[in-house]
Amino acid sequence: MIRWCAILVLGLAPTLAQPHGGVVEEEDLCVIKVNYLRGHFKIYQPLTSGHREYCEDLPDATESVFVMEYLHDSLSEAAVDFRIIRDVTGKGRFARWDDIQAIDDLDAATVFYQPPTVDPDVLTVIHDFDEEGDFIGVVTANVGGDGQVYRAVFPFEVGYTGLGFWPYILLLLLLVELLWLYMTGRLQRWWSGAALILVSLTFGGADAYANEWTSQRGIFTVHYESSLDPIEINRMHSWTLVVTRDNEPLEGADITVSGGMPEHDHGMPTRPRVTADLGGGRYRLDGMRFHMNGTWEVMLDITAGGSRDTVIITLVL
Amino acid sequence: MKKAAFSLLVFVTVAAAIGGSRLFPGAVDDWSDAEIATLRSLWIGSLPELPPDPGNAVANDADAARFGQALFFSKALSPSGAIACATCHRPELRFTDGMRKGRGVGESRRNTMSIVGSAYSPWQYWDGRRDSQWAQALSPIEDPAEHGGSREHAVRAVAADSDLRRQYEDIFGPLPDPGAADRIDTTFANLGKAIAAYERLIMPAPARFDAYVEAVLAGDRHRQQELFSIDERAGLHLFVGKAQCTQCHNGPLLTNHEFHNTGLLSLPGEVPDKGRALGVRQVLADPFNCLGRFSDAPPDACAELEFARSGFEVLGAFRTPSLRNLENTQPYMHKGQMFTLAEVLDHYNDAPPAMIGHNEAKPLGLSRTELRQLEAFLETLAAPLATPEALLGPPEN
Ligand code: HEC
Ligand code: HEC
Repeated sequence: MIRWCAILVLGLAPTLAQPHGGVVEEEDLCVIKVNYLRGHFKIYQPLTSGHREYCEDLPDATESVFVMEYLHDSLSEAAVDFRIIRDVTGKGRFARWDDIQAIDDLDAATVFYQPPTVDPDVLTVIHDFDEEGDFIGVVTANVGGDGQVYRAVFPFEVGYTGLGFWPYILLLLLLVELLWLYMTGRLQRWWSGAALILVSLTFGGADAYANEWTSQRGIFTVHYESSLDPIEINRMHSWTLVVTRDNEPLEGADITVSGGMPEHDHGMPTRPRVTADLGGGRYRLDGMRFHMNGTWEVMLDITAGGSRDTVIITLVL
Repeated sequence: MKKAAFSLLVFVTVAAAIGGSRLFPGAVDDWSDAEIATLRSLWIGSLPELPPDPGNAVANDADAARFGQALFFSKALSPSGAIACATCHRPELRFTDGMRKGRGVGESRRNTMSIVGSAYSPWQYWDGRRDSQWAQALSPIEDPAEHGGSREHAVRAVAADSDLRRQYEDIFGPLPDPGAADRIDTTFANLGKAIAAYERLIMPAPARFDAYVEAVLAGDRHRQQELFSIDERAGLHLFVGKAQCTQCHNGPLLTNHEFHNTGLLSLPGEVPDKGRALGVRQVLADPFNCLGRFSDAPPDACAELEFARSGFEVLGAFRTPSLRNLENTQPYMHKGQMFTLAEVLDHYNDAPPAMIGHNEAKPLGLSRTELRQLEAFLETLAAPLATPEALLGPPEN
């Protein structure tokens, strides 16, 4: 999406006579270009994603806060308005100002409009999306009051899962299949067998699941294997951590380790740390040692891709 | 035997290096000279004399304070007859209201601040949009969400109440008749000055923390251990050390009275609050500021206003609150975003990037135990008020 925007902006670059602009990501910074004026652009969904910052596409149809911090003084003095429309242009990612001008009834397509305001520091706008779909944002800056108008046009998606409709189609297929099995009586015959399999799965799988730890805000999942199994006290050993995010191995994470016994209010006798990134989301954690029997907590503070979260592993020795 | 001795040695070394501070209480009682100097600076005994309020000629006048007290608890200043300053600033809650945002005739935009010790601050409000307590006291009266009144109404209310009228005239001279527009402003300003004279008397008393600092200054270890648990001592070490709280929460009121962006999340339904970036513009434009016509100050006494910092740096910045007012004052922060100290500390530990502006606090990487110790320490700052009981309600005749 970001690339699309860059293409969009670059693609328009030769047509300099026409005011243009969009949203691009530059060196980790999301930048909105309103002609030659620039702002730092970010979108938040505080209710569902807390402090997480988005550049364009938004995961949920929910309250969204658009922030545009001016990196250029002229914007501070400009009257800036902000419009969000449903994408009725049919151009999707390639929509530009011409396409928006071509819309017959702009007001009907508009889901949010904030009239021009002059704000010296930052433009902040809040809109509660009540449906998912494709949208286009249009920021218009009236610079210097001489009728010179600059615009940024940025298409974005709300309710972006990255999977499209596939999960729903699969679910539907499964239901149809079950219905068919039920009507042909096969389901009933299989039931007793299936129950058995289910039971064995649940119990057989218990070990694997007991060793899955999810971070406090649900961003990361960690599985660990100890070189000492079962773990005994007062013996130095190492762990291999397998870290995933959204079911994908997480590479290049920064992990710091601390731990202690909450009941006794003391820390670990060693200062363990990650000594090797083994690739494929696997990390070697050396210097593990516990010096008392009881309940221990090992805290893994994981930072990756701008997110930070803590996994707390509890173990009883 | 030898082996046992060796293990013991290893154990002691390792424990001293890592868990030492907790296994051997002695360590948490060791304060370096630099730390002792910091502790002394946080001690309530270091609180200087209340700075003068040059804009307010009656700031230290006892009659004005008594009149101000009456105004503070009077609902007559609100046309609804239902709202007094004390509706939101309840003395039993350290002059706060226990709500996310103040509630008067309508809902205030922010969390109600404590008034305890705020006479020490050169700025009033979370965003410092007023530069004295007397100028501040005028705003709620005309705020449609708070008293929901006007200066004309306030002056008329004082004129209509024989007791208030007599007090006013004893201090400031005859009340103008309600028609004289300019005199109305002066009279209105005088009401603020009287309220400020009262507010200057609302101060915190020493907390257990202060007794602990005294024990440290006296070098009395036994007393230190009696006063503070190990966790509290460890928490204090963190507060002045690793957790860097004293960057902003310093001085005897545990605030630098400055504006900082600490990266809080906006409230549902609201865009992020611009804080000081707007406040600084408002205070410069306030007709009741230190340089204004109604101020009793000579212009050269208004340095704060003259040298106020503005611009992007203070975008999303709010005034550091005193940490002597944590007890009974939940929810915390400028919009009452947080209900518990644990939440506050988790936030500092994470220090996420700010929604607008720049979060000045850095992630701390404190363990759970350390966060708990820090919280234990913060609780030692709880203390009663130093203000006499008679001042914590409407004046008795
Ligand atoms: C409706 C509730 C409400 C009423 C009524 C009210 N206040 Fe406040 N007060 C607040 C809120 C909310 C704030 C913080 C607002 C902000 O920073 O934007 C505040 C802030 C203050 C502060 C600033 C303290 C500091 O440390 O900066 C003072 C002083 C104060 N009020 C005094 C008064 C006085 C005097 C009155 C009566 C004339 C009054 N208030 C009436 C809600 C109220
Ligand atoms: C960069 C300056 C800064 C640092 C460092 C800092 N604070 Fe704060 N603190 C503030 C500001 C500013 C606020 C008010 C924030 C707001 O409401 O936007 C605040 C608010 C608080 C509050 C809420 C008080 C109330 O009455 O609402 C507590 C508690 C607190 N800080 C404790 C701490 C502790 C403990 C630390 C150390 C871990 C710390 N602070 C570090 C500036 C700072």
